[in-house]
Amino acid sequence: MPTATFLPDYRKVTVPEGATLLDAARAAGLSMNVVCGGQGKCGKCLVFIRDGTASFDREKYRRFFSEEEIARGACLACQATVVGDVQVEVPAGSLIQEQKILVEVPGMKEIPLSPAVRKYEVRLDPPSLEDTNPDLARLLEGIERQGGPPPNRVYAPLGVLCYLPQVLRRSGWHATATVALVPGGYRLSSVEEGNTTERLYGAAVDLGTTTIVAYIWSLTDGRTLATASNYNKQISCGEDILSRVNFSRKSGLSRLQQLATESINEALTTAADAAGIDREEIFEVMIAGNTVMTHLLLGIDPAYMIAEPYIPVVRRMLSTAAGRIGIAAHQNAGVYTFPAVSNFIGGDIIADILATGMAEREEATLMVDIGTNFEAVLGNSDWMLSCAGAAGPALEGGEVLFGMRANPGAIERVRIDPDTLAPSFSTINGVRPRGICGSGLIDLLAELFRACVIDRTGGINLEIDHPRVRKGRYHPEFVVAWEAETSIRKDLVITENDIKNLIMSKAAIHGACMTLLDAAGLAPGDISRICFSGAFGNYLNKESAVTVGLIPETPLERVENIGNGAITGANIALVNRRRRKELDELAQRITYIELNADPSFMDRYTSSCFLPHTDFTLFPHVQQMLEACRARQGVRSWQA
Amino acid sequence: MTESSDEGLAIREVRLGATRAEGGTREVSYVIGGERALPFSGKRPERLLVALEICDDPRFWPPVVRDYVGDLSNDPGEWARAAERTYGADLVRLNFTSTKQRGFDAFDAIAATTEEVLAATTRPLIVEGSNEPELDSEVFRRCGEGGEGERLLLGTAEADRYRSVAAAALAYGHAVIAQSPIDVNLAKQLNILLCETGVPQDRIVIDPYTGALGYGFEYSYSVMERIRLAALAGDADLAMPMISAPTDTLSVREVREAVPADQDAMAVAWEFYTAYSAFVAGASIVCVRHPRTVERLKKALEV
Amino acid sequence: MAMKALDIYKNLPKTNCKKCGYPTCLAFAMKLAVGKAEIEACPDLDPETKTLLGGVTRPPVRLVQVGAGERSVAIGEEFVLFRHEKTFYHPPGIMVQVSDAWPEDKVRSAVEVVRDTVVHRVGQDLVLTGVAVKNESNRPDRFAETVALAGGGSSLPLVLIADDPASFEAALAISGHYRPLIHAATGDNWQALAALAKRYGCPLAVRASGPAELAALAGKCADAGAPDLVLDPAPRSLRDFIAAATEIRRAAVGRTEPALGYPLYLDAGSFGEIDTALAAGILKYAGIIVTPPLSPASREAALTLRQNIYTDPQKPIQVTPGIYPINEPGPSAPVLLTVNFSLTYFTLLSYLDASRIPCYLFVADTEGLSVLTAVAGGKLTETLVADSLKKFGVVDQVDHRRLVIPGYAAPLSGKIEDATGWKVLVGPRDAADLPGYLEKEWKA
Ligand code: SF4
Ligand code: FES
Repeated sequence: MPTATFLPDYRKVTVPEGATLLDAARAAGLSMNVVCGGQGKCGKCLVFIRDGTASFDREKYRRFFSEEEIARGACLACQATVVGDVQVEVPAGSLIQEQKILVEVPGMKEIPLSPAVRKYEVRLDPPSLEDTNPDLARLLEGIERQGGPPPNRVYAPLGVLCYLPQVLRRSGWHATATVALVPGGYRLSSVEEGNTTERLYGAAVDLGTTTIVAYIWSLTDGRTLATASNYNKQISCGEDILSRVNFSRKSGLSRLQQLATESINEALTTAADAAGIDREEIFEVMIAGNTVMTHLLLGIDPAYMIAEPYIPVVRRMLSTAAGRIGIAAHQNAGVYTFPAVSNFIGGDIIADILATGMAEREEATLMVDIGTNFEAVLGNSDWMLSCAGAAGPALEGGEVLFGMRANPGAIERVRIDPDTLAPSFSTINGVRPRGICGSGLIDLLAELFRACVIDRTGGINLEIDHPRVRKGRYHPEFVVAWEAETSIRKDLVITENDIKNLIMSKAAIHGACMTLLDAAGLAPGDISRICFSGAFGNYLNKESAVTVGLIPETPLERVENIGNGAITGANIALVNRRRRKELDELAQRITYIELNADPSFMDRYTSSCFLPHTDFTLFPHVQQMLEACRARQGVRSWQA
Repeated sequence: MTESSDEGLAIREVRLGATRAEGGTREVSYVIGGERALPFSGKRPERLLVALEICDDPRFWPPVVRDYVGDLSNDPGEWARAAERTYGADLVRLNFTSTKQRGFDAFDAIAATTEEVLAATTRPLIVEGSNEPELDSEVFRRCGEGGEGERLLLGTAEADRYRSVAAAALAYGHAVIAQSPIDVNLAKQLNILLCETGVPQDRIVIDPYTGALGYGFEYSYSVMERIRLAALAGDADLAMPMISAPTDTLSVREVREAVPADQDAMAVAWEFYTAYSAFVAGASIVCVRHPRTVERLKKALEV
Repeated sequence: MAMKALDIYKNLPKTNCKKCGYPTCLAFAMKLAVGKAEIEACPDLDPETKTLLGGVTRPPVRLVQVGAGERSVAIGEEFVLFRHEKTFYHPPGIMVQVSDAWPEDKVRSAVEVVRDTVVHRVGQDLVLTGVAVKNESNRPDRFAETVALAGGGSSLPLVLIADDPASFEAALAISGHYRPLIHAATGDNWQALAALAKRYGCPLAVRASGPAELAALAGKCADAGAPDLVLDPAPRSLRDFIAAATEIRRAAVGRTEPALGYPLYLDAGSFGEIDTALAAGILKYAGIIVTPPLSPASREAALTLRQNIYTDPQKPIQVTPGIYPINEPGPSAPVLLTVNFSLTYFTLLSYLDASRIPCYLFVADTEGLSVLTAVAGGKLTETLVADSLKKFGVVDQVDHRRLVIPGYAAPLSGKIEDATGWKVLVGPRDAADLPGYLEKEWKA
């Protein structure tokens, strides 16, 4: 079998002939950036053949490479197959890198500590011929005396019964029992010798499609002990949800389930180590994930969710024991997954809602969670509407020539001087730019619009006589950074095509927001808060988001970034059992609007496919600002 | 509710054609628009115009019309004259179908034909210029030049090719047809783009694109109604008069496959129902191709 | 005025019990607000709430049935002034008028045309609705005979047009069981006619000029026991009809004058412009249109217009996706990609048919969206094209791998090539230019 060697660190693997370089890289333990899931569509898995050959149709994928890259032997790893020994250089940009992962916990102060799992220290009278109460009954009665639940409501798993007699006797009848509130009663999760009541921990997990975030809590005093985050290892089976489901259909569900638990366990282990606790002392795990992720984690087939009529197997909150699905916690620890509204509005969104507190307020809140897909929820304590749709990959850097995720070197903030058209920008980690991430793209769109470089459809005005405005190879483009300023050895540009993709993405989101508002009969001014959840929203410049019409125009002070709402929601549900109990009811009362079935959505979408919107009266401040900008630079006005 | 039976806000007035006093050579000029109510329900009758379409290359024209007008189809000047004098059209719409042929480069003929048709007619003229984006700037310039001072209604601007028409209209003082594919938002967007290019709002006529009766006409009908309603409710970007040209009407199966004896009747019925409905939906100008439809429509507007 | 979903919701039990068939009370309220659900579906409402909500969600224009049996026609039950606001539900009945002063043969053949004319269009059979018999002989017996000749109402729905109650008596003796429409009750004869309508359970047309007068007369007839009314605003001109009809429909759907909540009547023969009147009646709210016999061309155009206007704009007629051979194509014929938006498809079809160029029309499922909107909305994608190529077995039908895509889909050309491995040719944007394009560009 041929050998593939990966530079720069010379990792070697032998692979069968015909394997793709991507397979080989995975076998070599490299995490490649497979945005399109290895379909040859994103061009992000760029590698260079240094020695030897691989079979690759360079003409077909030409558009992904510069001349110079071609000269260096550029290939798409997912489309190139091994034909003999080969030496491959993997540029840093093609590897998944540490991404900004959100870990703050805003707004947690008001949540009272009231966990669903408690420890009871019991001192029991040893049995005697006069007192022949069995061990279990004796223990349960002891628990009840400590203020615990009545014995007949506590279920004791066989596993606990097997070691119960030894623990009780060895400890001299002084033990600590862990009792968890479970649907329909209580469960005796464990019995330990002596007093361990101080050591009761819980974990909250955000099981994202891309990243996992875990928090470890002390459930006796409500402190956060440690946090950790890492990538979802399922990425190797496809970047987005659809490709994961397809993978599970082809290659089986168990692999994905295993990767999900592995990813969670890795985060739990890191956090537990940092907190200096034993994972065995984690007695409850609260997991927020979207509907597909939740299905995959629990080993439930998600196949019926991705095609009409889009039916999930289960919507409600599920609980199981950690040992059943291999979660690295106490084996009887309760693992809870958030309920869902539909296959599109999953547990992560319910967690978002919990994090915003919108279900407790009288005024209406609009919550938007943006990724490749977006979800929007509008409502208050009385009613709630939701919808979801595809925003397209543009906001996450896909389908944009120099788009990238929020990794080091990504331009995340941009300003353009309207007079000189000179951009100033900042990148993640402050290194030289190699691409633009979502928040940078929205900034760029807003700035190009303000500077009158693009018209309201996003068309670049080539009549502008400026070196940064030029006719590119396929599309008109604007140079954001000259070759010398970048780390990629080419001019970093945004093309008219990129801009149009971005406008379509923002239009889908704005159209969805308007659909919810119209369904509720509200105007943008009636919203008391707009909350962004998720990584994208967190770095987004609010003003740019309004300028381009990504969200309805509202006073900026009403726009809030709640950060990673999924983990916040999971934290809340972990530490407060009442909030957790309300989740099913909350999910039940959320009305889901199917945008595809709503004929007026297309209308709203089309009217949003314009900067900021076809109807300027919805954006009075943007209109004022724009008129001011245009007046100031009459030179480049449209009459040119 | 956006509509109201009371007088709403007015549709902007657009002047077409220029008399000698106005710097052109027309005997009359028309003002369209100005309505403040839904079609046929205002206090004042609408200013409605029926245009007969002619072309400079009959190879690209419906056979039923070619057969009916005979030799006229080879002589745009005579055809235009007959349109006014014989068939009673309020105005002529001249289509440069010649630009459909591959490798077209007879730009001089464009200006010449425009002038010829202007000379043959006494009323305002609609000119439908280029059919091919690559030819746009040259063709529109020639049409524009040929009709300088005559305040032509020049077509067609679309969202991704509006700059050439707009430039020609601005340079030579014409009005512009803004065509969008049956969508009220796209119609509005195009109007905004044109305005931002410098075309004054009172020189834009909206063409929301008209599908043939039985072949999607209902979409066009509703979009026209929506445009009109939005305008009456105060949307300045949609408050332009509309033009409707159900150009596919004579190619539909019903007309093509009609028994020869019925073919003219079927062609006229099909055009008539489509065009009259367009008036009811709010069009100020309807364009038809069969000469007999013109007369039917003129009569229909009197009852 | 219609109520907003949230206002309706405030009156519902908010238990989300799902007994109404909707997942939440709010979902139910949203359907009620657009008239797509029945208030009765929620079992947990007290009677007052039901009346309150029923009053604002019940159809503002009464449903009136004319005729009995298979070819009877239901008109009214409309909710909106403009079809884009929701849809128009009940297409007007087109009634061909005969006279009792005509010779028998003439009557008979006019009736036959109504009975037998069928226009097949996009999966629907379009027919003329019924016959209107006019009493011009001034003789009740003659009137009754002609009514009998027209089938007496047993096969085709009838309109009985006369002034004199005695004529109606005679005609109703024959046709009364078949719910003919009685035309028309006026300020003079309404008592007698309302009594007849009540006795036979027939719909009754009331005629008065001006909406106020109509409302007053309709109110009286309804009180007299004739609830199924049709309003004839007695227009002096067509313009007059359009204005009056608009005013009446507006009052009805705005629920400002319940006595105007009935379908409308139009006599298309009274203006000397039959086609114009037919079109105006179809477009502007007529429920019953009486017309003199029509030429084949007028008939087909009018029925088509009626079908178009009464198509639900939210459920446009969609073409079934698939591969359609046009003009008997061979394996080297071009494959033309298009969408299943009916307008696009039919326009294309008519030009291709006319051109006689053999080809395959490859219709992808864009859920009824046009090319432009489907591209913009991400409904027409390279994946869809690739999957559909496979699904429809296109490879087995042609011996080449070249695909002509619509001009508006040009941005997708590269992606489609990648996804399908087919060579993509970008065609014109205008269907009319397609035949010319094929002649020049397609070399098999
Ligand atoms: S039946 Fe009534 S209470 Fe139950 S969900 Fe439907 S509307 Fe709500
Ligand atoms: S192109 Fe290879 S992973 Fe996307």
